[in-house]
Amino acid sequence: MFSDHLIESTRRKFLQLSAAGVGAASLSGWMEVLAARASAAPTPTPGKAKSCILLWMDGGPSHKDTFDLKPASKGAGDFKPIKTKAPGIEISEHLPNLAKVMNHGVVVRGMSTPEGAHPRAKYNLHTGYREGQGGLVYPSLGAIVASEVGRPESSVPAFVSIGNRSYGAGFLGPKYQPLLVQDPARGVEDLKSLVAEGRFTNRLELLQEMEQAFQGEYRAPVITDHKTAYERAVRLMNAKEAKAFDLSLEPTASKAKYGTGRFAEGVLMARRLVEVGVPFVEVTLGGWDTHQDNFARVKSLSEQVDGAAASLIEDLKVRGLLESTLVIWMGEFGRTPNINTRGAKPGRDHYPKAWSLAMFGGGVKGGRVYGKTDAEGATVVDQKAGTTDFLATVCELMGIDHSKKNETSTGRPVQIVDKPKPFTGQIA
Amino acid sequence: MRNYRPLALFILTVGLASLLGDINVSAAPQTKKEKRLQKKAEAAQAATPANSTTPVKPIVGPVGPKDATALARLIDEQITKKLTEAKVGPSPLCSDEEFLRRAYLDLTGVIPPAEKAQAFLDATSPTKRAKLIDELLESPNFGRHLADVWQAKLMPRDSGNRFVLREPLVKWLEEQFNKNTPWNQFVFSLISASGTVEDNPAVTYFLANRSVDKLTDGVTQHFLGVQLTCAQCHNHPFAEYKQTEYWGMAEFFSKVRPDNPKNANKGGDNTKIGVQEGTGRTKLKDFFPDAAKTVPAKFLGGPAPKLSPTEPYRPILARWMTAPDNPYFARAMVNRTWAVLFGTGFVNPIDDMHEGNPPSHPDLLAAVAQNFAANGFDIKYLYRSICNSQTYQRTSKPIAANEKDDHLFSHMTVKVLSPEQLYDSLATITGAETTVRERMGKGAGKKGPANGRDGFVQFFLAGAEATHPTEYDAGIPQALRLMNSRVTGNPGLIRQFASPGDRSATVIERIYLAALSRRPTPTETGRLTSYVAKASTPAEAYGDILWAVLNSSEFTMVK
Repeated sequence: MFSDHLIESTRRKFLQLSAAGVGAASLSGWMEVLAARASAAPTPTPGKAKSCILLWMDGGPSHKDTFDLKPASKGAGDFKPIKTKAPGIEISEHLPNLAKVMNHGVVVRGMSTPEGAHPRAKYNLHTGYREGQGGLVYPSLGAIVASEVGRPESSVPAFVSIGNRSYGAGFLGPKYQPLLVQDPARGVEDLKSLVAEGRFTNRLELLQEMEQAFQGEYRAPVITDHKTAYERAVRLMNAKEAKAFDLSLEPTASKAKYGTGRFAEGVLMARRLVEVGVPFVEVTLGGWDTHQDNFARVKSLSEQVDGAAASLIEDLKVRGLLESTLVIWMGEFGRTPNINTRGAKPGRDHYPKAWSLAMFGGGVKGGRVYGKTDAEGATVVDQKAGTTDFLATVCELMGIDHSKKNETSTGRPVQIVDKPKPFTGQIA
Repeated sequence: MRNYRPLALFILTVGLASLLGDINVSAAPQTKKEKRLQKKAEAAQAATPANSTTPVKPIVGPVGPKDATALARLIDEQITKKLTEAKVGPSPLCSDEEFLRRAYLDLTGVIPPAEKAQAFLDATSPTKRAKLIDELLESPNFGRHLADVWQAKLMPRDSGNRFVLREPLVKWLEEQFNKNTPWNQFVFSLISASGTVEDNPAVTYFLANRSVDKLTDGVTQHFLGVQLTCAQCHNHPFAEYKQTEYWGMAEFFSKVRPDNPKNANKGGDNTKIGVQEGTGRTKLKDFFPDAAKTVPAKFLGGPAPKLSPTEPYRPILARWMTAPDNPYFARAMVNRTWAVLFGTGFVNPIDDMHEGNPPSHPDLLAAVAQNFAANGFDIKYLYRSICNSQTYQRTSKPIAANEKDDHLFSHMTVKVLSPEQLYDSLATITGAETTVRERMGKGAGKKGPANGRDGFVQFFLAGAEATHPTEYDAGIPQALRLMNSRVTGNPGLIRQFASPGDRSATVIERIYLAALSRRPTPTETGRLTSYVAKASTPAEAYGDILWAVLNSSEFTMVK
């Protein structure tokens, strides 16, 4: 297992591949060999959108206080609607900058979903399946996009999640697991080896031999997963695209307009990642679970979203990337049309029956509304959309065949999205 | 591998014998005393009224009091029986090297120091494995390890808990496990705890779970092995639990009044806060969820006790839960303990026991649970019994006859170290206690982790409550940290292994003993000595070898 022959043959293969232009500047032969092997995967169908940025509003944002205001209703709340650049679309007064780019976006007001508890609702909206269904762990949207659209030869992971662990690759396996950036200001740390390149290659060769010997004897899937994580890490070390994670390289002026705080920094990082070709970035803003003190909190959260998201859309437009980048603003459900007065300050509770999300760029026909709720914002009266309808629409916008079946480790075929009625035709 | 042949032969014999129906599964009592005890146990069971709280009578009988060897034998018989039925062959027993590292990590959460490893491997006593198990169960690290396992469950790391002092409860758990407090007393103290953190650290559980639903979910899940969460809002989709069942259990917590750690932190002293149980329903904000139902208190699947509002409710719940004949309590702990040692339980998820999710080995689970309860809920006895079984001491190398098996325990599971185990094991070799602390302390700020260990653990958890022993949960940032930070890259680390003039084979052996608790194979020694010979300096080469070993799967996993 520790034969010099093996190392020699690996080295030779690597040299051949390098000569063929596969691995350019490399830290390690074997990692590149594996990368090259993986690139035999089929190329995805081209769709308009090549990347997706999911702005995840964790906790469930109040639809009546953001994108579906009902000033004449009983539980209208404190906020006033304002006109947007899209004729006929009005949104909350605390989203003035998004109002200015609404001509690039679609508001979906007819979301109606099955789960009303946070973990189960988040799981459902991320994966399209109910938690625990069929005893499987389903891949989240990010992992689906990574596996369908991601370029296997890319050095940067195809799925990056900023500020939250999010939902992972499930049965698709560790190759599509999100790279988690806990604090965007710190980016991805430890990217540089402490030893010189040649010595690092030697170290990786030693490690490879140990891994092969161990895997040969114990044959456990966790050992392969460990190897996959290390390979992905080494490829990222090698990548010039890794600079996208370093926000200190961003000019101060362009940084400032996104605002301050982790979410603003995360959105900025998402733009930088899309610029280097990362197909899926999820950025989380928590705090939307406003059972208490709904209005002050939603106002402050809206302000955080407004600056960052509007800057993102403008920046993408300027760079010619908006057509190919789908930006989604959503949470796991809406909030009750009525206001609760249990506590000292009025609040709204969970409400999955009728709620809103917004999509910008990525080939959508801007300035449209899809779906309609009643006068109270309590029931969807037209163009109702469920979880799978929405996810299939995102897939279609990204050129992904959502009827494709992926196989689990035991060979069970599972459709990417199960029985959807996508509404792509109405918005794109 | 050298001593496998006779063992394999033995296993084969056992397998054949049981095929021929030669094995005495009932583990019949041998001595008069054992017979007496069994009669007593049977009489006790006969006397129990046949309501729904009666435990299922185990098909396999009780073994002698505190007789770990007998219980180990019972485990092996039952496991072998299932393997035979399924025509799955068991792997041979593990080597001393595998056993040593496994026992240390499973029982104390950390790899053995090099000198301990060497001494064990060189010892010739035929009872050295049993002796090591005894020694490790008496190590203070036993309690520390189990406190790590439990603190994640008892104190969720959510944002609402950032002002909760974790240390007092961790210390308390550690002490109870090390004193071997019987599990029923242990849990009784925790569930009925009142007073201040200073006087009774167990109250921290209520400070970290400040609502009636969190308490109901947690207590049923962790101590009864039942997930009631779904029944909070609707009747349980898969199990027989109705919504009233949930709120009947929740009622026992309806008078709990935990202080708010956040307020105390604003100027008070966080050890002076605590938990009281009043005479009326708690009026604390958000203590009851919006959808809370008020129904009379009722034991899960059992009767509704008469409660007097002037008396605290929790001791009444705790007494029912921890009674020897409670149908859930002993089973839940046995299943959990099995999962600590094997990576998976008889029932998985380990805290989701219901009729639609039956155990892989129902008779064995019932029998071990009954022995655990009959032996005073002695936790160390439970660990000792399982660890002395051949089932626990099988190698994790699969053989052709069992490669596909993942629930019959034909071979040990390769488990991934928890972040705590990884940190403590790295610290054993690298003295990382200081290096990691310095690194993690940088810019950690006020909200940051309490110390280097906690920082490392949180970095590896990456927002999750706990990692799974059967899954490699770490990702790119964690691999980068292990490869490219001073955690493994401090050039000074190698000094403890190599002095000028040392033979390279000697140094390599020291590294292997310290990190992997084994000596390198001749092939490894050959390859690595030639690596050293070709390097510009031996020290650099040793650094490279140590780096590779610490980044390897073999180091990161328990085989």
